[in-house]
Amino acid sequence: MMIHCENLRFTYPAESFQLAIEAFSVEKGESVALIGPSGCGKTTLMNLLSGILSPDGGQVIVNGVVVNELPMAARQRFRLGTIGLVPQNFELLDYLTIRENILVPCRVSSQLRLTGEIEARCGDLAERAGIASHLDKFPRQLSQGERQRAALCRGLVTSPPLLLADEPTGNLDPENQDKIVSLLLGEAARIGASALMITHDPVLLPRFDRVVEVMKLRQKGGAA
Amino acid sequence: MNTRGVLFLGLRYLQRNRAKTLLLVAAFTLVWLLPAGIGLIVAKVESQLRARAGGTPLLLGQAGSPLELVFNGIYFTKPQVATLPLREVDAVAETGLADVIPIYARYAAGGHRIVGTTLDYFDFRQLEIAVGRNLLRLGECVVGASVAERNGLKAGDAVISTPETLFDLAGVYPLKMTVVGVLAPSASPDDEAIFVDLKTAWIIEGLGHGHDEAEDLGEEEKIAPTIPGDTAVRLNASVLEYNEITPGNAERFHFHGDVSDYPVTAAIILPPDARNQALIKGRYTKAGGLQLVSPAAEMDELFATVFSVQRFVIALLLAIGIATVAIGALVFLLSYRLREDEFRHLRHLGADLATLRALVAFEAGFVILASLIASGIGLALIHTIAPVIIREMMG
Repeated sequence: MMIHCENLRFTYPAESFQLAIEAFSVEKGESVALIGPSGCGKTTLMNLLSGILSPDGGQVIVNGVVVNELPMAARQRFRLGTIGLVPQNFELLDYLTIRENILVPCRVSSQLRLTGEIEARCGDLAERAGIASHLDKFPRQLSQGERQRAALCRGLVTSPPLLLADEPTGNLDPENQDKIVSLLLGEAARIGASALMITHDPVLLPRFDRVVEVMKLRQKGGAA
Repeated sequence: MNTRGVLFLGLRYLQRNRAKTLLLVAAFTLVWLLPAGIGLIVAKVESQLRARAGGTPLLLGQAGSPLELVFNGIYFTKPQVATLPLREVDAVAETGLADVIPIYARYAAGGHRIVGTTLDYFDFRQLEIAVGRNLLRLGECVVGASVAERNGLKAGDAVISTPETLFDLAGVYPLKMTVVGVLAPSASPDDEAIFVDLKTAWIIEGLGHGHDEAEDLGEEEKIAPTIPGDTAVRLNASVLEYNEITPGNAERFHFHGDVSDYPVTAAIILPPDARNQALIKGRYTKAGGLQLVSPAAEMDELFATVFSVQRFVIALLLAIGIATVAIGALVFLLSYRLREDEFRHLRHLGADLATLRALVAFEAGFVILASLIASGIGLALIHTIAPVIIREMMG
């Protein structure tokens, strides 16, 4: 099992929002779409899974490691080595070129080495994402869809066993949406990674192995 | 923490924010450089002035500013200092209490001071002739090492004194002088001077001159006698004076009037011991119209003033520096605020706190280090050009 959560409890300080999930799992190699209305806790759940947020109670087990019991530094190292994050707002650094942005995980991690193999994979991913000609440009020189594809390449470049994508197709036209999802799921399948993606678009749902409604997950408190 | 990664990201950030980085480096460079540079220049000026002043026991000059007398007598600046007649210099020599070296530093050639003096000066300052020979005849000059280097002068070349008043017919005319020697470098104002015999300096002033024999001149160059029977030949202003002293015409140069009335700007007094020095000082304390000064004491007084001004200036610069550092710190803090999104993105990717702190520290460290290096280069430059600055400062 790639992800397993039990009795997950989380409350934002000074806010009434409370997330309570009794159990949630994702199998290795499985692709899951997380859906639900805005504010239902999709992003919070994803941040709990990636270790960006710490739960008030319960356990988050990713790839056999209890993430929430790791100290902060170890959790960040774990995230770098295990999870490929694809945020909705790209989170590209404006002072780096697209190539440098894709390779940035190797710059901030002491365990990931920037090898020729990873650089070759960067070029390969960019080729398949259709942004190979933009590798030496800066983010502001690219369109929204191209930047999102660059962010996706960054999430995939280290071949992580788990991909977490937070609405990567938000604000994109249908053509770009299709390209992003094809790349995400295609690459995940190619490297045998599990993929968890938040989306609002019902057209994309049939392409996933499973669709999970976060509201139901919270209300029922049962395993998805 | 990935040190190489931090360096890479830090440098990329600075590279993409070049204008901000350069402004910060420039501001911090000025903070370090200004007080240090002023201190360096003052220290260099002080060491140069004191060394020269310390080696000159006493200076005699016309009453007036003692500092101007010192600057003229040992640094050859302040050419407009009041002159004293040669007889006063001779009077000191006649007491037998000290040796005396007259200095007449009033005129210039190509921006270099022409110093009229005697051969004793070269012995006193232990100046060595590197090329050529010392002064022997009227119209000859020995140039300092820097003068020779800057103007490409060697023995056999000529220098022409700068005319003082171009449109004044009675003014000082240029005199062409032959370079007979070049001094070895002495790292002193002597390197910047052109030395001539005292009489040559007076010829430049117009006190001595040379022209064809009066008897050989035509009637149009003579003044008709007004007293019947007067056989003396009087010449008018149309007589052409020689503007160069050559072996052929040297004998025709002559001085009118009493040479002991001729001016010098200063005289170096060299008493053999403290007793004689005290005796001479005693005499000239009472002498009206003249002043006898100790250059070392004058320098002490000058630098007491300079240091108090310097302390004030440096205090001001430090205050400005503290303000600049505070503004710099504010810029770094604001920069950190502006980079919050970037740091959040990096944190999401898995960067630890040490990496983020190192990125912030890198920017500050780079700016401070770069400004220190730039200040070091600036100080080295000031050190190199200090002699030029000092020369300009001393006029």
